[in-house]
Amino acid sequence: MRSHPFLRAYMAGVLLPTWFLPIMLTAFLIAHFTGHVPAGLERAIVFPMAVVPNLWGIWNALYVALGLRERLSLGIFGALLPVLLVPAGIALATALDLRFYSPRQAVVMLPVAMAVYYLVWKYGVAFLNRTVEQR
Amino acid sequence: MNADDHDLDFIRRQLRTAMLPWSGLELKNDLWPRMLRRMEEAPVRFGWFEALLAAAVVLAFAVFPELIPVVFYHL
Repeated sequence: MRSHPFLRAYMAGVLLPTWFLPIMLTAFLIAHFTGHVPAGLERAIVFPMAVVPNLWGIWNALYVALGLRERLSLGIFGALLPVLLVPAGIALATALDLRFYSPRQAVVMLPVAMAVYYLVWKYGVAFLNRTVEQR
Repeated sequence: MNADDHDLDFIRRQLRTAMLPWSGLELKNDLWPRMLRRMEEAPVRFGWFEALLAAAVVLAFAVFPELIPVVFYHL
């Protein structure tokens, strides 16, 4: 299975956030039915549902396309993704008039997100890449 | 040629027509470099740095629980 390396990399990248989405959706529904969700927050689901998985896939395909495997760890490359994702998330939240987090909170959260991403990419995405022989 | 030879010859011809010769006898790629790369690849380990990072994340979530949904929003 050596053909279509970018497609395989894209699919390996997309898988984890796609699996995580139903967990988030369940948490959201529970919070919704118990009345703990501020009005309009359901619009926020657009970002983790549409933007995040695609960016993960593209980011992983980019790692393969740039031939970074020998020079840069996948964990470090993955940890750089929040640097793009967080401003995009703020921009979308502002555009949708969602105020569940401020830019200041986002700045505080950025290193935490980078640490989470480092671990998930180093172990999760790397495992999936090995599984699809994308190393 | 006796009857048995005739039957065997018939079967041989039938098999040859049913199973066409495979042209791709040679591998297109040398698999040995891939094998070597896999053997030389360092095993995935959960080292002290990763343990420290995971502990820092748990601590950050414990101290600032309001960050949890914000981080999840970006996952």
